[in-house]
This record gives sequence, C-alpha cells and structure tokens, in this order.
Amino acid sequence: MKLERITLENFRQYYGRQRLIFSKDSQQNVTVIHGVNGAGKTSLFLAVNWCLYGSEGATNVGELVSKEAVSRARNEEVVRTTVELTFTHDGERYLASRRLESVKQADVSISVSGTDDFTMMRTRWDGQAERVNNPIGTMNAILPSNVRTYFLFDGEKIDNFAKPEASDEVRYAIYNVLKLEVLTRGRKHLEDVAAEYRRELKSVSSGELRDLIEQEERARAEKEQVLARKEALEREIESARHQITDIDQRLREMQNARALQQQRERLERDIKQRRVEMDRLVNDIRDTATGGFVILGQPAIERALAILDEKRERGEIPSNIRQQFIQDLLDRMRCICGRPFEPGSLEHQQLLTLMNSSLPGSLEDDVLNTSAALRPFAERAQMLKDSLDGAMRRRAELLDFIQTLEEELDDVSRQLKGSPQEEISRLEKQRQDFRADIESYRLEQGNLDTRLETLGKEIARLEKQIERARKDESKQHLLTRRANLAQRAADAIGEMYQVFADDMRQRIEARTKEIFKSLVWKDSHFQDICLGPDYRLEVIDRYGLPARPELSAGERQVLSLSFITAMSRVSEEEAPLVMDTPFGRLSSHHRNSITEHLPELADQLVLFVTDEELRDQARQNLEPRIGAEYRLEFDRGTSCTEIVEVR
Amino acid sequence: MAEITTGRDTVVIDEAAHEIYRRLTEGNDPVSVPFRTMKDVFMWAACLGYRHGERRPLTGKRVTIFRWAQFTPQVDIPLLKALAIADGSDANVLLSQDEILSIAEEYANAGIHELHAGVLDEYGQPLWNLIEVIHNTTTQEGGGRYG
Repeated sequence: MKLERITLENFRQYYGRQRLIFSKDSQQNVTVIHGVNGAGKTSLFLAVNWCLYGSEGATNVGELVSKEAVSRARNEEVVRTTVELTFTHDGERYLASRRLESVKQADVSISVSGTDDFTMMRTRWDGQAERVNNPIGTMNAILPSNVRTYFLFDGEKIDNFAKPEASDEVRYAIYNVLKLEVLTRGRKHLEDVAAEYRRELKSVSSGELRDLIEQEERARAEKEQVLARKEALEREIESARHQITDIDQRLREMQNARALQQQRERLERDIKQRRVEMDRLVNDIRDTATGGFVILGQPAIERALAILDEKRERGEIPSNIRQQFIQDLLDRMRCICGRPFEPGSLEHQQLLTLMNSSLPGSLEDDVLNTSAALRPFAERAQMLKDSLDGAMRRRAELLDFIQTLEEELDDVSRQLKGSPQEEISRLEKQRQDFRADIESYRLEQGNLDTRLETLGKEIARLEKQIERARKDESKQHLLTRRANLAQRAADAIGEMYQVFADDMRQRIEARTKEIFKSLVWKDSHFQDICLGPDYRLEVIDRYGLPARPELSAGERQVLSLSFITAMSRVSEEEAPLVMDTPFGRLSSHHRNSITEHLPELADQLVLFVTDEELRDQARQNLEPRIGAEYRLEFDRGTSCTEIVEVR
Repeated sequence: MAEITTGRDTVVIDEAAHEIYRRLTEGNDPVSVPFRTMKDVFMWAACLGYRHGERRPLTGKRVTIFRWAQFTPQVDIPLLKALAIADGSDANVLLSQDEILSIAEEYANAGIHELHAGVLDEYGQPLWNLIEVIHNTTTQEGGGRYG
C-alpha cells in the first residue's frame, strides 16, 4: 500500500475541502507535514485512520465535524464531513471515502444522521472506476485493522515494545503482521472437524471402540488443560522475574544496599558461568563415558591379539605362498618347474596339503589389518580412563566452587534481609518469595512435562487400539480415517506454525539488531538484540548482560522503532510508515541517525513533525529524501487550519 | 577358495530389550540419558556380555535398531572382530561379517541386562552409574581403578 492523496472536507479544524498529495517517489519517499503544537497534525493523522477504519481507527477523537462549517450552516442545513484517501496496492488504485452527515439544529448543536458511510472504488485497467462490494473486507485484506498500529503510529507511544512486560505485545504484533493467524485458524478449524468426526464415530461405534474413543478424548482434553496450565505458569514466572528485576533495580539505587546488590550480581554472574562450564563438562564426560566400551573390551582385545600373534608365530601369517598361486598350479596340473603331474601323485598330494593349511589372501589381509588396528587399543583405553578421571576431578572442583558461591549468595541475602533499614529487609523478603514462587512454578512445570509425556504415550497407545478396534466396520473405518486425517493435518499445521513462527522471530531478531545498531549512537555499547522464544525483546550490552532496564526513554523508542521497521521489512508488506511526532523526545544523536536511515527502511514515510523536531543535522539528513512538504497554518481568527504546500 | 562374505547389514536385538535401548538414548539430559545412539549402547552391551562370558541367543521377535555402516571402522569394527576371534579362538571367523555380527548380537543380548541393572536399576543418576560400571567392572578384575 502506498498513499497517494488525502482530501478532507469539514474534518475537525479543516474547514472546506483541502488536499494533500503524498510523495510516492522511490528515492524521495518522504512526506513531511509540519506545524506547531495544536496546528492540526494529530487531526490529520486521525483523518487517515478514520477514513480507513472508521471509529475503530479514531477512538476518543472528540467531535469530527468542523465547528466552523457548523457555525456557517443555516438551520436544518446538512453539513458533510468527508475524508477521501487515494492509494495504490498490488498495482491497483483505490479510492477510500468515509462520510458523515450532520444536520444543524436551531440551538447551534448538530444531529448526526446515522452512522458514517464507507465506500471504496477501484480503478480498472481502462481507467474506469468500479465500486468495491465489500469495502471493509477489502481494506482488511490490504492492511488489516489489527496491524495498522504498526504502520500508522504515534511516535511517542511506541516504546511499549521495549518495556519488560511487553512480550505479549511483541508476540501479538508478530502474530498479526506476519499473518500467523491464518495458520492458527486453519489448525482450529481442522481440530474442530476432527472432534466432530470423533463424535460421529462414537455414535456409530461398538462399546469397546466407544470406550476407547472416550478415553482418547479425555486424554486429549487433559493434554489441552496441561498445556494451558503450562502457559499460565510461564506467564507467572515471567511476572515474578520482572518483579525480581524491579527489586534488584531498587536495591541498586539504595545506598545501604548497593554494595551487597552489586556483590550478588557478581556472584550470580559467576555461578551462571560455572554452570555453563559444568554443562559443557558433563557433556564431555558423557561422550567419554559412552566410548568406555573400549575399556571394557580390553580382555577380548587381548585374547584376540594373542590368537593372532600365535598365528604369526606359527608362520601362518604372513604365508610364504599365496593360496591363489597354489590353486593355479593345481588347475594346470603342473609343478612349479613346469613338469606335469598326475592326480594322486606325491606332488599333487603335497600341493593339496599346502592349499588346506594356508589362509585365503583376503583373510590374511584382514588378519593383519585387524591385528594392527587392535594394538593401539590399550593406549586408547588408558587415555580414555585418564580423561575420564580428569573430567570427574574437575566436576568435583566445580561442584565445590558453585556450592561456595551459592553459600556466599545466601549470605548476601541474609545480610540484606537482616538490614536495619526496613525497606531493604522488606524488599529482600519479597525477592525471596518471588524466587520461591519461580522454583515452585518450575517444579509444577516439570510435573506437567512428565504428565504430558505420559499423555502423549497414552494417546499414541489409544490411537493404535482405536485403529485395531475399528478395522471391521467400514463406516467406522472411514470416519476414523477422516478424523485422523483432520487431526494429523491440524497437528502438521501446528508444527508448521511453530517452525514458521520461529523462523520469522529469528529473522525479525536479526533485522531488529541490524536496524537498532544503525540507529542508536551507543552502538558499540549495545552488542546484541535477542528476541527469544519467550518473545522478550532484550538488549545485550558489552558485558553480555541484559541492558533493557537501563535504556533511556529515547533508546526504548529507538528499539521499538527498530522492531516495527524490522517487522515490516520481514513481512514484505508494501505499506507506508506514518508517524505522528516521531522525534519529540529524542536527543539530537538519535534524531540524526533516524533521519539518516529511516527513509531507506520504509517504502513510503509520512512524518508529522513540529519545527523543533526537524532542524539542523536531522533536517539536512532528510532533505534529499523529501518529495513533498506541507505546513499546517492555524488561523487564530477562525480557529481553522489550512494545509499549505511548501514544495 | 574362501572369500569374506559381507552378509546382512542390519543390527538386530530382541524386541524385549528395545525399551532398555530407548530409555538409555531418548532424552536431552546427558545425566539421565547417558547415550547418544543405540549403536553405542550395543557396543557397551556386547563388551559387557563378553566380560561376563555370556552369549544369549535371540529368541523373541527381532527389531532392527541400526545398520552396519554406523559402526566406525577405526574402533567399533576392530572391536567386534576381536570379540568374534576371542569367542571361538579362530581367526577364520573374519571371513563372515554375518558371523561376527551374530556373535556380537548374542553378547549384547546378555550384556544389555547387565547394563540395565548397573545403569538404570541402581540408585543414582544413570551417567554416574555408567561411570561406576566402568570402575566396578575393571576393578573387580584387578586392573586398577578402570582395569
């Protein structure tokens, strides 16, 4: 979607018909609309939203009808408020129009006649316009209502994505913009179909089959409940974690607790590092121990080597004469000197004896190779034992070390809890409670995982039993197949959803990182951006630690902006970025880098700014990319705004 | 003239032992699931079976758990050959891959129960139990800590 033109008629302070043409040029893709506070920037921004989405897109906007138009109208005269927006999408041109009619009353009030009227026209290839029959549906297909806020937004309010508790918003944004809903709906629909088939199957089934199906349904229902509980627990854990982060922040800020809190952070970091080392070590130990059969196989190897060596000592290996050579002599019935001999002769007898006592050539090679391969095993086994011993010693050391660190951590907690300052003691107690909560949630999650595994096995077993029980009845057979097919399709979609969502998340993460690093001036301090499976948008600083709690409001805004633009790039939706007061609370560093890079990150950029927001270097950065520029002039005499074209 | 026969290439176990193989390999936690592959379990079981001097023929339904190609030529195959040679005191067994495999399968069929008893049935975590099996087996035979 690319905006072409907006025409307003009697919309709020825009009296009469006024028009603004957006720049669509790919090089000069920026349209700047500036005005002082109160000049009408937000009204114009709302006009775009109201036109496309009605009251849903412009809630709490107050009176839409121009007061000036109402004051000039005669009693009973109809005052028309209209916003028309022309845009192109997928090679076609659309005209969206929303109109509201009001009648002026004798007491100067107005009576709105019915609801607003939304129409949409599409320009045909021959230039003729045709009416779109389902304008709301069409608009939702072009830029869905639940997605619009990621493309048309108030710059000062977008830092939501960067707040610690915003994982739901981030997940929801990705879900909507990347159209994952389609997969969810498909899965739900197929699950409903499968459930319907199972119900039908139950009604035509024999007793045994019905029992089995009921058991399967109960197992599936319980599985759903367990999954829901797991998700709820995950949310509880998130919330408790946020609380701990807040408490840590507050303790850091309290003079009497700061040193202990910093000590705790050091200890926690240290423990984390040691645990990572421990994980690696345990994996190494596992790999070494798995190869431990070499140690156990030593008696067999020694015995085999003794047998093979005996063969060597007896002179059987290597044999002086190859079997093939003897065979050739026997085939030709000639001695090595060329003299022929008869069957049963002495020469013939001797050759047969030699043939039987020698080894086949291939076996001889194998014996020699095996013997050579087995000799280093004793050394290999010794190395394995040494390596295992060393690793187990290191594990014991690490365990001791971690235990010591944990004791120190407990001591810090005890000191904080015993602080004479009541606030510190209270905070530490709360922190302990949250940690205990997290542990108990984790425990419950572990139990739920076990239950899920059991249920999974039970469902698989029941599926097999149901499969067997229904074999003889053709209708049951057909219904079972349909139910299984629908369920498998639903499961497959579920898996696809997971894979697709993960892929999208990772692509958005990479893109957000790239954009954030280009926009933020402390790019060397912020080393990484993580958007993990829990959809928490995290900034990692140069110490490898989460830095989000320390981000300034401006940095949070830049992070959110990076996320939004990354999403729009990954979604490959051609959509404009329309931003109201985008730079209001940004320092000049951020303002400069955003004006330098943002035009490249959007197909079309529309900025509603105050003069103060766009000056000096920021203005210079944007200058070559500005294709259209307007000033909103507010007339103090009429309280109306006029849109004045600057370029 | 005798040549080495390549024989079958699937490695089989008794269906009854399949669950033990699964329990020892399925899962992500190395401490509770000490083996990455069924091939490694098989090698362990075969060596333990030999150490205990017990070959147990496969009598029940057979299950294929992996293929010959999964054995490594540097370690696994020489060790399987050693088991076969040591078993019959005869190097001619090397002529038949089938025979080498059958001997290993029968040792593994006995050893897998030793492995189960030592790793899964013992009190404690399977990985540490596995290390203890190495320790105990080799110590009993008088070879120092591990043999």
